[in-house]
Order: sequence, then C-alpha cells, then structure tokens
Amino acid sequence: MSDLIRISRRRLLASGGKAAVFVAATGIAPQFIRPGRAFAADALAPGMIGGPTGFDGAERYQYGPDTPEGRAIEAAKALKAAGKAPAKIVLGLSDGSIGQLTKPFPAGAPSIKELWEKETGIAIEIVGLPNGQEFTKTMQDISTKGGAYDIYSTEWNRLGDLAETGGIAKLDDFVAKHKPEWDDPKQGYVNGAKGVSLLNQYRGSSYGVSLDGDFQTWVYRTDLFGDAAEQKAFKDKYGYDLAPPKTWKQHGEVAAFFQRPDKGLFGSTDLRNQGWGYTNWYQRYVSMASPNQFLFGDDGKPLINSEHGIAATNEYAESLAHHSPDAISWGWPEQYGNFAKGGAAMTCAFSNLPKFLDNAGNKDSAVTGKIGSMLPPGREIDGKLISRSVLWFSLTGMVSSQSKNPEVAYLLLQWLGSARIYAWMSANPGGYLDPFRLSDFSDPLVRQTYHAYHMDVVRETVARTVPTINYPGATAFHNALDENLMASLTKAKTAEQAMADTETEWKKIARRIGEDKLLEAIKTNKEAWPTVLDPIS
Amino acid sequence: MSTALATPALRDEGARLGFRLTLPAQILVLFISAFPLLMQLYISVTDWSPLSGLGWWNAWEMWNSFANYTDLAADGRFWSALKRTVIVMVVCVPAEFLLGLALATLFADDFPGKRIFYSILLMPMMVVPAVAGYMFFMLFQSGGPVNDILSAIMGGPVTIAWLSDPTLALIAVMIADIWQWTPLMFLILLAGLVGVPQDQIKAATLLGANPWQRFTSIVLPKMKTIIIIALAIRVIENFKIFDTLYIMTGGGPGVATETISVYIYKVTTQDLIWGYVAAIALAILVVLSIVAVFAMKCMARARQVPA
Amino acid sequence: MEGRGHPFLPSASKRHQQSSQMKRSIPFEIFRYAAILAAIAVTLVPILWMVSMAFKPIGEWSATGAELTWWPKHPTLANFQFVFGESANDLIVALDHTALKPILSSLLSAVFGTVIAMSAGTAAAYGLSRFGSGQNLPLALIQLRLFPPMAVMIPVMIMWSFLNFNDSWWGLALIYGIVTLPFAFWLMKTFFDDMPREIEEAALVEGCSRLRVFTRITLPMMRAPLASAALFVFILNWSDYLIALLLTTREWVTIPVYMASLSSSMTGQLYGAKAALGLIAAVPPVIMGIAIQRHLVRGLTFGALKQ
Repeated sequence: MSDLIRISRRRLLASGGKAAVFVAATGIAPQFIRPGRAFAADALAPGMIGGPTGFDGAERYQYGPDTPEGRAIEAAKALKAAGKAPAKIVLGLSDGSIGQLTKPFPAGAPSIKELWEKETGIAIEIVGLPNGQEFTKTMQDISTKGGAYDIYSTEWNRLGDLAETGGIAKLDDFVAKHKPEWDDPKQGYVNGAKGVSLLNQYRGSSYGVSLDGDFQTWVYRTDLFGDAAEQKAFKDKYGYDLAPPKTWKQHGEVAAFFQRPDKGLFGSTDLRNQGWGYTNWYQRYVSMASPNQFLFGDDGKPLINSEHGIAATNEYAESLAHHSPDAISWGWPEQYGNFAKGGAAMTCAFSNLPKFLDNAGNKDSAVTGKIGSMLPPGREIDGKLISRSVLWFSLTGMVSSQSKNPEVAYLLLQWLGSARIYAWMSANPGGYLDPFRLSDFSDPLVRQTYHAYHMDVVRETVARTVPTINYPGATAFHNALDENLMASLTKAKTAEQAMADTETEWKKIARRIGEDKLLEAIKTNKEAWPTVLDPIS
Repeated sequence: MSTALATPALRDEGARLGFRLTLPAQILVLFISAFPLLMQLYISVTDWSPLSGLGWWNAWEMWNSFANYTDLAADGRFWSALKRTVIVMVVCVPAEFLLGLALATLFADDFPGKRIFYSILLMPMMVVPAVAGYMFFMLFQSGGPVNDILSAIMGGPVTIAWLSDPTLALIAVMIADIWQWTPLMFLILLAGLVGVPQDQIKAATLLGANPWQRFTSIVLPKMKTIIIIALAIRVIENFKIFDTLYIMTGGGPGVATETISVYIYKVTTQDLIWGYVAAIALAILVVLSIVAVFAMKCMARARQVPA
Repeated sequence: MEGRGHPFLPSASKRHQQSSQMKRSIPFEIFRYAAILAAIAVTLVPILWMVSMAFKPIGEWSATGAELTWWPKHPTLANFQFVFGESANDLIVALDHTALKPILSSLLSAVFGTVIAMSAGTAAAYGLSRFGSGQNLPLALIQLRLFPPMAVMIPVMIMWSFLNFNDSWWGLALIYGIVTLPFAFWLMKTFFDDMPREIEEAALVEGCSRLRVFTRITLPMMRAPLASAALFVFILNWSDYLIALLLTTREWVTIPVYMASLSSSMTGQLYGAKAALGLIAAVPPVIMGIAIQRHLVRGLTFGALKQ
C-alpha cells in the first residue's frame, strides 16, 4: 500500500503536456486535496446571475446578465425553453485536458461541466482525443461525414485548412448576436482585434474560439544560474556574468558551458523532433530581421531560401551540440521527464512546464523551486534587441457543420472562452489548457498554479510571439520545412540544400492551394506579428 | 474416386455446396475490394482532399488529368521510401532466415535443456509489436541498455545516439524486426528439418557423405517447400513493416526510416492529399498483383515437389 | 518421443552412434550450448528489460539519460495497479480511463475477427479443396494479404463511417476478419488438400449429405489444425496497431493504441505502465501458444510437412 500511495502522489497525480490520459488534480493548491471544507461563499454575489460558488474568491468568476458568459447562459436557456436545444452537446477534446472541465477546482467548487449543466440544463459529453491525434480525428469525422461531434478542438493553425473543408461552421452570426467581447481591452485577447483575428478567424470570418495559449516559453534552472562557483567559472571563461541569455550567441555559450552529459546535464533541451523541432528554428529565423524576418513576401514568394534562412538553419543544426545525443528522437514527454530529473540547464516548452514541474505535489520533480523563466533569446539589430517566440499547437474550439445545434455549441464555446470562466478553468491543474487572455495573466488563481514569476514572463513572451503558418496548407508547409530541417540536422543535406528544397516544396504546395487564397491569408497572418523591440541592456 | 460418387446428382450437390461454402469469403473479398478499388480509381485522377470541402463523390470537380501519377513518378520521397522498404526486406528476411536455420540446425536432435531453450527462443513472437517498439526505443537511447552492454564489452563508455542518426536508426529498426521474427523462421525451419526422413540420411551416411554433402544433397532439397513458404510469409509481412518501426522512430530522423507504410500513413493523416494517396495505392496494387501471380506459381510448383 | 539423430550433423545419442560412422565431438557440444546461450541472451534482453521496467518505480525508469538501472531496486506493483486505476482509490489520482476497456476491446475484436476469418476461410477452403468452387480465391486472397492495409485505409474509413462501425469492437473485428482471412484460408486449404478422403467417401456411400459429411465428419477430424490456424490468426489480430489507430477514437481503443497515450508532462512517457501493460498483453498469446504448441508448427508449414 505504501508503494501505491507513493506512486500516486509522485507522478500520477497530475499530468500535463498535450497528451496524457491522466487527468488528475494535483497538490499544487492545498485546498484542492481536501474537498468538503466548509466555505462561506456558497451563494452568488449580489447582481450575479451565474458562476462558480463554494470557495474563497469565487465571486471573481461569477457573472452578471450583461457579460459574455451571462449572455451565453441566458441564450442557451432560452433555446432550451423553446425546445431548440439538444439534450447534450458532444465535445471532442484532447484527453489530457478533460480534467480541467470535469475536476472541481478549487475545493468546494463545482466542475466546469457541472456548472454549465446546472445553469443551462444541457449536458456536455466529452469525447477524448488521443495524443496528437486531434486534427487527424477531426479530419476523419469531416471527410467521412461521421458527425460524431458538435464541437471539435484542434491546433489553432489548422483553422484555415478546416474552414476550407466546409467541415466547420462560420460563427459570424452567432458572434454578432451574442457578443463574446474577445477584443475587450482589459480582459480580452492580447493585441485586441488583431489577436482575435489571428486565433479565431480565417479570411475575415470567425470559425473558432481559442481555448489555449501555447506560447513557447523559456525556462532555466535558478539553482545552476545562481551558484557562485558556476558564476565564477563562467565569467572566467566568457568574460561576462552568467545570466539568462539575451541573445542567441549568449544562449549558445551558456548552453555549451552547462553541457555535461557525463553528469546527466544538458545545456538546452528545446525540442528537435519531427513536428516540434522547427519551433526552435522559427525563433532563430524570425529574429533575423527587424522587426521580423517573414516566411513569405507580400507577393507570396517564400523568403526562407536566403542568407537568413541558411544562417538560421546552420545555427539550428550547430546547437545540437549542447543537447542530448538523442535530441532528434525526443518528444515533449522525454523533454519534460528529463527536465524533471534535473537533466537540463535551459529549455523552451509549453507555458505549463512550471505548473507541472515546479509543483510541490510532484514528488518526482527534482527541480521544484528551482525554475526561473526568461524571454526568448534574440538578436541585436540596429541597436535594438529582436527577441521572438512562437505560437505552436494551442487548441481552438470549432463548431462542426454537421452539428444539429450549432448555436448551442457556439454558446458553450463562448462561455468556456470568456474571461471569467476561462481564467477559472486554466487555473485548474487538471489539464493542459493554458492561459492566453489578458485577464488570465493577473488572475490570482492562475498565478498560483502557473507561478507569478512565470506568468509575468509569459505575458511578455506573448507580446513577442510570432504565429506559425495558419493558412490553408499549414500542415503541408510545415511538413516540408520539417523534413528538410531534419535532413540538415542529420547532415543528410546542407543548410543551403535544405532551404532550396523547402522553397521548391512550398511553391508546389502554394500552387495546389491557389495563390489568391494564400496571398490574403498571408497578409492577415502578418498583421499579427509582433513589433516589440527591446533595448539592449 | 469410386464410380458411386461420380453420379450427376452428387456432383450437383457438391457444386451447390461448394458455391455456398465459398460465398462468405467471396462476399468479404468483394466487400473489401470493390468499393475501395472503384473509389480509389476515381479519386486518383483528381486533386481531391478532405481539405477541399467537397464530398469525395464530387471529386470530379477537381479532375487533374493524371497529374497524381506523373507526380508519383517524380516523387523522390516515395521512391526512396520504396527503396528503403526493399533494403529493410533484403537485410531482415535473409538475416532472419539464416539465424533461424542456424538455430534450427542446433535444435534438430535431442540434448539436455532443449525444451526450455526452445520455449525461450519463441518468446519474442508473443510480444505485441507495439510493445516491442517502446522497449526498443528505450534500449536504443544513448544512455540506454544497448550502449550499456556495448560499454561493458568495449571497456569504455559508449554513447551512440542510435535513433538520432539516419543510418543507425535504420539499423536499430532492422535489429528490432530481426529480433521479433527470427523465432518464426526458427519454428518453421525446425519443423522442416526434423521432417527430413531418417532413412535417406542413413543411406547417405553409409555411402560416405560428409555433413555438408548430406545437408546440400538431401536436407536442402527436402526442405525446399518449407523454405519457400517461410520466406514468402516473411517477405509479405515485412513489406508492410509499420508498428514497431513507427513507434521507435516515427519514420525519422527526418525520413531516414520511412518505409512505404509509414510514408502512406503520413501523407494520409498529415498532408491529407487523398487523391494522391489513391494513386500510390493503385500503383502498389499493380506491382503487388504481379508479385502475387508470380508467388502463386512458385507456391504451386513448390507444393508439387514430392515430399 | 525417442531421441532422434541429427539430419546431417554427426549424432551423439547412443542409438545413432551405431549407425553413424562419426562421433559427435565434445567441442561441438560446447559450441552448441554457447551458440544457444548467446541467442537466448539476445532474445531475453528486451524481454527482461520489459519485465524489469514493469516492476520499477518511476525513479528507476531512466529513459532520458539519467543513471541506468537494470533491475528494480525497489520493486513495486504500482504500475499494474495504476493501469487498472486502483491508485485512484481515495487519492487525488484519476486515470481518465483504465486499461480494462482497451483489454476488453482487444479481446473482443481479436476473438471475433478470428471467428470471422476462420469460419469464412475454413468454409471456402473446403469448398475449393473438395468441389473446386471459388477458383479465384487463392490469388485474390494472396493479393489481399500482400497489400499494405495502410493503402486502403481511406476508403475503409469512409465505408466504416458510413456503416457506423467507427470506434467499435465489431467494426475492428470485421476488418480483422478480412485481413486475416487469407491466412485462415491458405492454412485450412492445405490441411483439407492433405486429408485422406476415404472416410468422407465412405460416409457418402452410406448416404450422408455432403454438408453433413463436412460438419459431422471432416470438421471434427480437423480439430487440431483448426486450433493452430485459429491461434495464428488470433496472434495476428491481437498484434495490430495500425488499423486500430485509424479506426478507433476512444471508446474501443485497443491495447497498443491505449498504450501510446500513457504519458504525462509531470514525468514524460510512463514506461513502467507501458511495460506492465505489455506484459499483460503477452498473456493471451502465451497461454494459447502453450496450449497448441505442437499443432502450431504443423499449421505454419502449410502442410508442406508430411509426418
């Protein structure tokens, strides 16, 4: 039995990352572990029509009638009363995120699912989608006319692809009618209307509701960086103080300094495998010009087969030297597992890494209390620092065109994705849906789960984040890039060859998709690129 | 057959029963080939993709006049996947055969411990290939057991990154395949070996044949059928190699271990160019049909050899 | 069984020494044991790694470069308890779904897939072997087996969705039954071809109908071959990863598909749980394999072996 308890407490408590079947509560918040404590706040605050109750501070997540949440609930109730609502809404969701909807958090609170069902009388049936299979399963449902879901959730940048299939419903009418206020300047999306356009829209129409914030964020080990002996050794060797690196050059030096494979320590373990590795290449490439080095010109011509593309690719391949020898075969589970064991000095990961690994409930983490966050490394151009991260994965909810009740499905998404409910949900340690709204970054519960030190850096990282390709053909474009970058990592191709071949492939894909469709999408995508330039300190 | 059984009535009854007995299999074959074949023929001449927003039956709107087939001819990734599949096959199947035959030779007569050794050697067959994939993924990590063993043998730390190197990754997946399937070869070949009639061997021995002569002149000819069957089973199954390989490397690094099945899996689930996938499928079907006819002839001839 | 001589190598047993002019040397015996032990070592490394992993607590998994542990220092059953969700007991852990349903799904789909393949295959084999019906089947079925399932998955996904078979054990059972039908058919056909017909003919002369002869006389006589063919088909179905990956989503995922999702960001891949499940997955084939080990050999040789 003692083993049983140990294993449970240790790692199986909570799970994170994008793929687990475990959806569990963790010991992050003490009140989480012992349910049933009596709380005074078990009724709605005055003027509120709905929201969670039963824990301290619950009123922050309650809403009045004139809020996106309130309107969603009222409209759903009205549809239900008029007999126009189904008994249940089927929601396809990543396995690893289901806990955030089904586990009560904090203690005394209802679960998100219970709350919606209680307030509207419409049940939610959650169908889990396995590891990395969200898009595949969604496409399967669309192309085979399966009709198994009312709501899909897939990576945000597949929105263009999915909208073109006609498999997801255009939400413009519902948005106009129910006013989700996504661009609210205080609580809404980062960058206001531009942020909404990036995450929820395709060619000017709304097709999705963002439910995630996978801004790739850098973390480092405060114990290593703060160690006096390490600091002295570093300064002796490189002539400047050991600190979280500001530039890619510094990053390479710090990583090389900490690269001690015989002691089980690697310099920097940002992912290098298929489907993920290019998030690091992206960061290196887009920071090559001020304010950004774009992937495509305004005329739709690929820009990667250039001096900058080749330099970024060379740098990317060379940086393998301060990574695990197995870097290319590591996915995020290996990355998280290694970091938890104290196997890396720096890494770049989902914003939830500290949520899971700097976590008193995770007895298997050797790095609890030893994680710090930093802005992405950048480059000095014209006296300014260009520091860029990348948005990758990030789930977005979409209404299936096969849904018989698109309006109710949309209302559920509006409710889930609005400021109060979303902050409450993303603070829940039971899953992977990460904060992304302005309101999330200052929310006390979110800051508790994700750590205050980290949330401040995440907010700044968001302001420096470029979107990945989100136009039709996104998958094909990325695969072509991926394949060629991998070839350069394994030295099967030179950087020059890799970029030239990527360009050829991209031109072929662009032809298949249709240039005019693409030009417009590229333009919209570019509008969302960051313009922040940092001073050089 | 005796004349009593050759009456027209019995023959008719036989024909009717034969028809009825083969009907379920015919239906299943028709079920799995008719629609898929017609559908793939149809969409293979279009740019249709589930991303196009059209139902597949409307694919004609995206007619591309055989562009998929010309693309296929020029698709370097497809041809290298095919080449790789063949390389894996010509390495793995003979290796499994030779190892299986060597082991079978060692097991052909009785010796103490035979039964238990035999059972242990067959164990890999009982491991689900996907599980084997995870195990080999771990075994081949740079700090993993394989390098640990190599370090012990070489007397110094070995940290080969097997799965991150294009050549070594291919070797690693081939080792996994050989590990899993040599037991099958061993099982079949051993059965063949002990089936060789003793009296002929004795006769040859009395005539002064040495072991090698006995092996080549009596044992091998007797085992020809079984060898062909064993090789055919492995060639057929190895051509489709997917499970273990996909879990170990995902076809990577890059495309270094991408075989035909992995390639098709990726284009189907990631690139989603289904019209193109249909063209690939049909091209493979044509080639394999030729192979099948050839294989049938071989099998038929092999079975005619008197045992 | 009496000790028998080696087909071509010099024999050691007394019985054969008399007939053999050469004596087996001691060096040969040493070589034999050394070679077998080497083969067994190679065979066992991955299996022992799996067994050891299944009983290791997480600190000893060491998949990602930390210190390597060959044997669990603190053996635990927690991995097994975990996959069955027991650790959720009044603790804060909740496995979203336990391994029970996937095991059930694997069992149902593999068993019924085997039933489909064996009934259709046996009937068709008999029809062809005795009455010459379905002359097209041998070639059609070889083609079916030769063809990579991946290449027909697009139309199959569309058909299965149309029939509402997606994500169901019966949908999987049907496709399993079809893809393993060739093996069932070929194995049974060889058995029927080799079976002496005198008994059947005698029964016919007695006035039995042909159908009655098949069901009451032939099938009972073929119990052992049926069992070995069924086991082989079952193992093929039980091992599948690719088809289940594409045709199931959640309710009826099979063991290998479920296994792929055993990972978490607290710890990375849950290798211990995967290994524990891998061990469990090996149980059915092992039990069945032991039960009909002898017939298995005969089955796999496609009757090419006349004993």
